[in-house]
Amino acid sequence: MHELSLAMEIGRLAEAKLGASVSRCVAVGVEVGTDSGVEPSALAFCLEAVLSEPPWTGARAVLTQPEGNQFHLSWLEVEDDDGSED
Amino acid sequence: MTVRRIEVRERVMARNDELAAQVRARLAARGVTAINLMSSPGAGKTTLLERTLAELGEPLDMAVVAGDVQTQNDADRLAVHTGRLVQAIVTGGACHLDALQVNDALDHIDLDRTRLLIIENVGNLVCPASWDLGERHRVVLFTVTEGEDKPLKYPKMFEKADWVVLTKTDLLPYLPFDVDRAMRYCRQVNPRLQFLQVSAMKGDGMDAWFEFLRRAAAPSAGA
Repeated sequence: MHELSLAMEIGRLAEAKLGASVSRCVAVGVEVGTDSGVEPSALAFCLEAVLSEPPWTGARAVLTQPEGNQFHLSWLEVEDDDGSED
Repeated sequence: MTVRRIEVRERVMARNDELAAQVRARLAARGVTAINLMSSPGAGKTTLLERTLAELGEPLDMAVVAGDVQTQNDADRLAVHTGRLVQAIVTGGACHLDALQVNDALDHIDLDRTRLLIIENVGNLVCPASWDLGERHRVVLFTVTEGEDKPLKYPKMFEKADWVVLTKTDLLPYLPFDVDRAMRYCRQVNPRLQFLQVSAMKGDGMDAWFEFLRRAAAPSAGA
């Protein structure tokens, strides 16, 4: 349950950052410090659930585990239509 | 299609911490001291609070926010002992209280008539440690029916606390619990921890607990 509320907060932060491009987000990078008190596998499971619900379209969660107690949403990857298919 | 990376680096707990700062400022403006009371389930938070409300509810203008996963049984138990307000938060499954819930609960409490606010967290030694609620003191109850090595198993809870209250000490004659070893483990995790030992049922050690609360609620305590 703890990790689910964290996953939902990550979703909220990312949505605020992305605005309308949230549906084009393909990956969400999260840093889970080894002393952060967050269980990475439980968080990954919960993030998968959050990122498969609208407005998300199944973005992948990429978790890294550096030493320390940091717990950050570190980056977002968005697919841009650059017109190369035209 | 090209993939573009947006650097963010935002702390996931930032929103909770902002709300906790808001709670802290609201309480400071009214001279209210808040204590976040945490423990594993069944360590005696509610029984300790029942005795505390009966003794100090009126003299210290206490209010209580009681968090539970389901039911408001604890809030009902506490309300019997005081005419002071007991506000229940039912988390609906969540394993901890967060600053937003506490901030909302403050709307229902007459802060001008409150000096000491005790927040009874959800019984859990893991998750509540990560959520700042805007409290001044973090108190962990550690009961003699648990293993002495609880501080080693749940270090974050003990690291973030400033007081440990050993509860149910009237059961010590019947249990192999080693108080010295338990305290040693607490200090190993957090050398700044201070200790109290109480039996809320029999009354032993309760005077020291009441004294701690009186000092915490004194107007100069926040200085």
